[in-house]
Amino acid sequence: MVSDNAMSLGIKVPVEKIERELRQLWEVDDARTNASLINLAVYSEAKGALATNSDMIREITREHSCRALLIGLDKNIEETSVRAWITAHCHLAHGQKSVCCEQIAFHLTGHSTGRFRNTIFAHLQSDLPLIFWWQGNLSDMFSESLYRRIDRLVIDSSGWDDVIVQFTRINEAIRQVNLVVQDLAWTRTYHFRLAIASLYDDLIAAESLKNVSKVKIITNPKHFASGLQLLAWFAEMSGWKRTQDLISDQEDSGSYRFCTREGNIVDAELTLEENSAPIGKIEVISGGVTVCVSREAGGKHLHHQLICDEHVIDIHGPADGDSSAELLADQLSRGGKNSLFKKILPTFFGMLEL
Amino acid sequence: MVRQFMSNPFREDLVSRSRPEACTVVIFGATGDLTHRKLIPALYNLAIDGELPPGVKIIGFARRGKSDEVFREGLKDLNREVSRNGHDEEIWNDFENTVEYHQSEFQDSDGYRRLADRLEAIDLERGGKGNRLFYIASAPEYFDDILEHLKAAGLNESKDGCWSRVIVEKPFGTDLPSAQHLNEVVNQTFEEKDTYRIDHYLGKETAQNIMVLRFANAIFEPLWNSKYIKQVQITCSEHLGMEGGRGGYYDKAGALRDMVQNHLLQLLSLVAMEPPTDLSADGVRDEKVKVIRSLRQWDTPELVAENVVRAQYSAGHVHGKSVVGYREEDRVDPESMTETYVALRCMVDTWRWSGVPFYIRMGKRLPKKATEISVHFRSAPNVLFNAIPGDKDEGNVLVIRIQPDEGISLRMVSKLPGTTLRLEPVKMDFHYSTSFGKASPEAYERLLLDAMAGDATLFARRDEVEEAWKFIDHIHRAWHQSDAEKEPDMAEFVAGSWGPEEADSLLEKDGNTWRRL
Repeated sequence: MVSDNAMSLGIKVPVEKIERELRQLWEVDDARTNASLINLAVYSEAKGALATNSDMIREITREHSCRALLIGLDKNIEETSVRAWITAHCHLAHGQKSVCCEQIAFHLTGHSTGRFRNTIFAHLQSDLPLIFWWQGNLSDMFSESLYRRIDRLVIDSSGWDDVIVQFTRINEAIRQVNLVVQDLAWTRTYHFRLAIASLYDDLIAAESLKNVSKVKIITNPKHFASGLQLLAWFAEMSGWKRTQDLISDQEDSGSYRFCTREGNIVDAELTLEENSAPIGKIEVISGGVTVCVSREAGGKHLHHQLICDEHVIDIHGPADGDSSAELLADQLSRGGKNSLFKKILPTFFGMLEL
Repeated sequence: MVRQFMSNPFREDLVSRSRPEACTVVIFGATGDLTHRKLIPALYNLAIDGELPPGVKIIGFARRGKSDEVFREGLKDLNREVSRNGHDEEIWNDFENTVEYHQSEFQDSDGYRRLADRLEAIDLERGGKGNRLFYIASAPEYFDDILEHLKAAGLNESKDGCWSRVIVEKPFGTDLPSAQHLNEVVNQTFEEKDTYRIDHYLGKETAQNIMVLRFANAIFEPLWNSKYIKQVQITCSEHLGMEGGRGGYYDKAGALRDMVQNHLLQLLSLVAMEPPTDLSADGVRDEKVKVIRSLRQWDTPELVAENVVRAQYSAGHVHGKSVVGYREEDRVDPESMTETYVALRCMVDTWRWSGVPFYIRMGKRLPKKATEISVHFRSAPNVLFNAIPGDKDEGNVLVIRIQPDEGISLRMVSKLPGTTLRLEPVKMDFHYSTSFGKASPEAYERLLLDAMAGDATLFARRDEVEEAWKFIDHIHRAWHQSDAEKEPDMAEFVAGSWGPEEADSLLEKDGNTWRRL
């Protein structure tokens, strides 16, 4: 069932008349500007997701003009049906002009992958890229005929039940169609990576990089994938190779062993803490030099620290957003083909033992 | 380019831009408006975006006696008002700890020696890395003193793989000899590669987009020549006059030297340049300077009279309010011969642009504020639809709006709906603000970061500045020569109108008209 909040989805319209109804929506008020740079499809199989996602799209369209297609699928109802609603999200752009983005919401029941695909592809704006945000676990609706037509697939591996199973499917899709994948779990690490990069601009920190002996990462259990991706990035950029891992006897931590270009061994530990921020800390120890970036649970800033005897950097910087809407907006702002993420994937998959 | 610092693997692929390095930024003229309204908010916004390298220190150098605390308090108050990203107290607290105040006269050698000691102490604290970025934001009469004292104190020298750079604000000279003199002084102090002449127009998103539009899209470049383009217009219109005591400065400068010599000739060079061999600073600037060098020189009073129009505004109405004429403005000489409006017909004598006029106009007290470039294409042949009697010839026009309402539009001809064949121009329009909700960084943010990264692409090179002055000086000399009878006329127009009739006639001679903004 669509939630009681279906009002926020706008006007209910017959599926075959969606485009006509949208045109009429614009004819009502010609003082508004209809804008879109992308087709943004948001797919969810969770109950009540359509209304929640509509609210989220309202936020995203403040910065990113798009045609939004919300798709909610209820596979528990056997009878196949499609219902559709249209609305527009309007914002005052730079305090001057009312800029609006169209939204079409579909509620589908029953199980038919072909109907699902056609529903989406029939309502795309031509020539604009299709960004497809798949929420939750990948189901059997995630098929090659779908992802072959997607320009960018957005996922959030933080919400997955089984990271290994899910990434196996992603890996397969990448190999099959060279799919461009953007994981919001990776976006969540952006300011941590920026902070680490900034701290290693320091000459003492840069010099210490060849003597790293230990890396410690703390994450919230839900954000295990973010922590592992952060570690994979650090190792990949440092030019380290995986070697025989240590055996951890603790359930809430993972240990990984790397070999540096100089032949030194680095032990990395990923600890899961219930009360941690999504990513709580990354600490890199090399002899007398410690580089640390941390965030308190609920904190809005990152704490950047470099400690080497009396040489200390201790400042605060911005933290990544926590909500999916903020992360997606950040990701869309950066654009591109996400080549860095692609680069770290082999190391990341290796640590997942895919 | 050989990097003097250790490579940082974590910077790779993080941002597609040269890497800014930690340094100490010394701002001369730190109590001025530019520092408070532009430079500090720009540095703060870089900090809040996580783009400012850690270890950056800022020293405000100025004459007034002030403590660090009082200086910071003043900066904070204004940052709250003007910062693009708002004001985050936590980030500001860290940021303001990097800001110090250094009191000294600009001509006091001891003040520079104390500055050198202070910088060394900061370098030691930072771990020995002594990169310095000197930003000369003082009044232009102090440029020489500051540069000479920096040299005397040894602050211009790059030591131990570190760098020492200087950013110089406009006006970069008032004519060719003064610009050459200033360049000599600068280059006796800093190498050209370490000299960054700022033109904030080049830091604007839309100015940067000109090259992208031309060279990242396949459809424009084949048409970007005299075969398909009939004329180009560059307009910078301001509705303001001499508010806030600006008359004192403006009456000495005038529209030609204040805007055309730098900003508008820079825009012209971006439109007319050949594709650079690469995107390096010199790759781009080599091509830009060729354009300025190819400008046909209006080097006699007759040629100036024929190709340039100067004017002053008289009393009129702007935005519904009565305004006084230029000569009645505060701090303006009642017999002033300074132009508040200038229109030029420029010819770029290259193979590509042979016979295509580039019109530039800049004026105060025009109906609205707008800067834009319009590229007017030649008409389609007079057959088929264009042969229909009564239908006006409406060629295609590509407009690049620099500010405000940044964007690009393309005018084309379309059939009016109906049973008869009637053609009308229609416009395809792209607005930055509509398509990208996020505010663009301020020009100073980008430019400061580039200077920290050693990327001079968006800064003017010595030869660009001097070539531009050479072109401008001929005009200025003709206007102010000793034989007053030969001086081209000073036209007049009513404030709030689109300039003098003489400016319209300038284009009519070529069969063109100014684009209506």
